[in-house]
Formats: sequence, C-alpha cells, structure tokens
Amino acid sequence: MAIFMIDKVKKSFANGDVEEQVLKGINLSLDEGEITALVGPSGSGKSTLLTIAAGLQRASDGHVYFNGKNMTNMSQEQIRQIRASEFGFVFQSSHLVPFLTVEEQLMLMLTISDTKIKKQEQKVEVTKILKLVEMDHRRDSYPSSLSGGEKQRVAIARAIIHQPKMLFADEPTASLDSKRSKDVMKLIQDLTKRLNITTLMVTHDEEMLTYSDRVITMKDGLIV
Amino acid sequence: MNIAWKEIKKSKIRFLILGSIVFLVSFLTLIISGLSNGLSQDNAALIKDLPDGQFYMNEHANETYNLSRIDESTQETLVNEQKDAAALSIQMGFVNDADDKQHSVAFVTSTDSNLFEKVEIGEIVLDQSIEEDGIKVGDAVTNNQFGGEFIVKGFVDQKKYSHAPVAYINMENYQEIYGVKEMQLVFVPGQDNAQAIDGLQSFSNKEFLSTIPSYSAEQMSLNMIIWFLVVISGMLFAIFFYMMNVQKIGLYGILRALGVKTSRLFGMMWYQMFFITAIALTLSVALSQGFTMIAPEGMPFILTLEITIQLSIIFLIIGFIGATLSGFQIRKVEPLHAIQQGEI
Repeated sequence: MAIFMIDKVKKSFANGDVEEQVLKGINLSLDEGEITALVGPSGSGKSTLLTIAAGLQRASDGHVYFNGKNMTNMSQEQIRQIRASEFGFVFQSSHLVPFLTVEEQLMLMLTISDTKIKKQEQKVEVTKILKLVEMDHRRDSYPSSLSGGEKQRVAIARAIIHQPKMLFADEPTASLDSKRSKDVMKLIQDLTKRLNITTLMVTHDEEMLTYSDRVITMKDGLIV
Repeated sequence: MNIAWKEIKKSKIRFLILGSIVFLVSFLTLIISGLSNGLSQDNAALIKDLPDGQFYMNEHANETYNLSRIDESTQETLVNEQKDAAALSIQMGFVNDADDKQHSVAFVTSTDSNLFEKVEIGEIVLDQSIEEDGIKVGDAVTNNQFGGEFIVKGFVDQKKYSHAPVAYINMENYQEIYGVKEMQLVFVPGQDNAQAIDGLQSFSNKEFLSTIPSYSAEQMSLNMIIWFLVVISGMLFAIFFYMMNVQKIGLYGILRALGVKTSRLFGMMWYQMFFITAIALTLSVALSQGFTMIAPEGMPFILTLEITIQLSIIFLIIGFIGATLSGFQIRKVEPLHAIQQGEI
C-alpha cells in the first residue's frame, strides 16, 4: 500500500533571467516498508526531489501526499510537525549536534518529535536503538571523538529513534569507505525492515543499490 | 532536555569570555554609578536631603541663586502663609581654626525651620567631615569678614554643598559677613505644584539642582558614561550572539530540518543570555557592594540597592534586546542550505 505519493511534481529555479526547470513532472509512489533508491547523474534532480518529498522545500507545481494527506497545502508549521514526528533524516555528513553526547542526540530527537514514548521508557528506548546500531558503548561520547562510520551510525539511530514512518537519506554513505558504506547500508536495510519504515534514498554508489527494493533512475528532471 | 545548558557546559571558554566581558562592563557601570551618586551627594546633599517641594528665587536672578535677593515683605508673606516654609541663603566661604588653618565651607543660614539647623548668634554647626580635621565641639573658629568668633555647637551628618562641608550660622551673623539683608531663596516643602508669586520664579528640587552649574555638568558627564556603558554592553551582546549564531547557522539549519521550532532556538539563545548575565551581574553586584566597604576614606561612593537593582534590570533588558536582534538571522536559516553545507 502506498504511504507516499509524488504527483506531477515540478520545480524550477530562477537563474538570472532564465528559469531553469530541475524537475519536469515527477510521479512516484512509495509502498510501506519499501527501500527506494534514486540514482542518476549529477544535476538530474534527485536531491531536489528528495528534499521536496521531505518537506524541506516546496514544489513549484504538483502535489506530495503523505499518509493520504496533501502536504502541498500544509502550512510551514504543519510540515514541521510532520518532519519532527513522522520523518527521519540521514544526511551525507552526519550533522550531529557537536555539544551533545551520543545518548543526548537521541534524547533530543525524542523531545523534538513529541514522542508517545513515556519519559521513564525513553532511556530504555535509547539503549535499545544504540544496541541495534552497535553504539551503546559510546553513548557518553561526543561527536568529535567518533569516527566517520560511528557518526553515521549515530545519525541513523537518531533518524529512527522516534519510530518515523519515512526515512529520507541523502547519500548516506558518500563520506565513508567501501567497507563502512556496506555496514551502514546493511544497518539501514535491517532497521527499516524491522521497524517497517519506508525509505527514499539518493545515492551515487551502484554497490549500494543491492540493499534497495526498487531503483528509480532520473535524468534531466525526469524518471527514466 | 536543556540543550542551551549542554552547549554552555561543552563550550565553557566561549561563554566564559562573554560572561567576563559582561561582568567587566557591568562592574564598571556600577562603580561609576556609585561614584556619580557619591559625587552627587557630595555636591548637593544639603538640597537632596530636603523633602520634595518648591524653591523660589528672584525672577531676575537668571536662575542663579547667588544673584537672587528676595524682597523681605514677599519672604515674610510666603514663610508665614506656607507651613514649614523657610527662607535661606547659601554662600561659599571659609573658617579658620585655632591654628589659623583655613577650611572651605558652604555657609548656610535660614529662618526658623525644622529643615535646617537652628543656630544662635555666635554659634556654628558644621558637617562632620570638618571634625576629621581636628575641630571639636566647643572650639572657636573665625572668619576674616566676621568680627567675632564662632563657637562650634555640634556636627551634622553628611551635609555638603558644592563638595564643601556645610556650616550653619545664624542669620544675623550671615548678614554681617555678606552684608546683605535679603535671603536668596524660599523653600516650601510638600508643595507639588508651584504657586505663582509676583517677582519670583519657582523650581522643584530637581530643577533647582540643575541650576547649580557644577552639579549639572558633573552629573551629565557621569550619566553619559553610565549610559554609554549600558549601550555598549547591549551592543556586545548583539555582536557576540551574532558571531555565535553565524558559527551555528549550520547547526540551526539541521535542527530546523529535524523539526525543532524556531521559538525553541530563540529560547535556547535567551536562556544562555540570561544565564550569563545573571552570573556576571551577581558577581559585579557582590564586588561593587564589597567596594563600598573598602573604598578609600573620603571617596564619595554611594551605591544604593535601588540603583543596583535598576541597573541590573536594565542590563538584563539590554542583553535580551541585543541577543534577540542578533537572533533574527535564525529565522532566515534555510535547513536545506545547512544540509548542503557539510559537517557542522
């Protein structure tokens, strides 16, 4: 069943006097628990599509539906609420908060998301997720003392701690070596399947496609 | 979770620098305020200690009490009609002690009143600061323009005028020294609104203080320094938080992408501002109060609790405004740009 739908989405940017159309009418639907990879050459519009889907920018035309609701008509505040409680993000760089420990990064996400998890159970949940990403032993460490792979594991843990319905990943393995990339992708695959999270991921790395259920190729602002 | 506090804990040095600057500026402001208040007392305690009321002087005196002469009949009518009213004169002069050492004083004389010392002919009541020069009750002091001697009847606490100790003398003695029959001023206590009296100009206590040239010039300069320091501290807050916010644009963008409300980011900044200011102010208030105890003898330094609280509130408000102004850039942060920027 489709949990996420992108309907005739277009996006253009003004470049001086010229209007550049980056997305030229994209239709896409994502099924619950499915991992979809967006691939394509640079400038094909895959990152723009991901950020529109994630509610980080608005489409110039077309509609985005999440859970049957049209996000295009929502206010910034409504979109923020969805981002906080229903979406999870993994970026190319881990983007962890530098002054929070690993445990605090996850606790912060629980606070932001207004989770239904009771206060006393939050610590237990954090421990559970940290064990899943094998970072429980570094729970009191600050990001500055973690390796790239460890940071990305924490970023993944932060993205799923509040049990989102959607996970958006923008080149999650781009800053990692081949072995660590595979580990991280395995982790995303394992966790999203286990928690039934729908994933939309942008990647350049063809090796990572084996972890996806579906691969969508984009070129010049269109799905090919 | 209090992320504002977590950041302070992790970035101690950064916040310590800001706190130190706020502490130094607020400490300096309190010290100068204490000096300003002390000098103000030293300059015009005689007037400042009077209850609120109205001063009357001759309208042709060009707002200079020294040039004022109040007609005797007008003075008599005013003093008799108004309860507790007193006619008074103030003139700078000096007295010589037994060793012929000169002491500058402000001679003050008045008609019968509870507001001024009652002094018999040939007697003098001096400000306590003169006692520190070795003059005692019962001593005789002289004045070059006075034929006889003044016997020191007693001392009064903190009565100064134009930085000189006040010397209360009898009206007859005053008239002999200065050769004038008329008084310079009439003071009517408790009068909120001035009474229109032909030939006289009225001044509230505050207005009268500003007619004293040395007083207004001195206070204006000191007040200007105080307000400059207050404005500077506000600017420091704005600049420092602006710089910190610029460094944290990426972080704010990510937090907004994750769904943190802009109001929470502002709350984080305000918490940090209030925390730093509160600690800096506590320290500077404690030290400035400590300074009142160790201030050198003779240094006019008075820092009241009222002024301290007032300045502390102003510092908090100005810090809040500075931080808020700098925080407007948070609203402009695009989560998308922050994500594309790379590591925060």
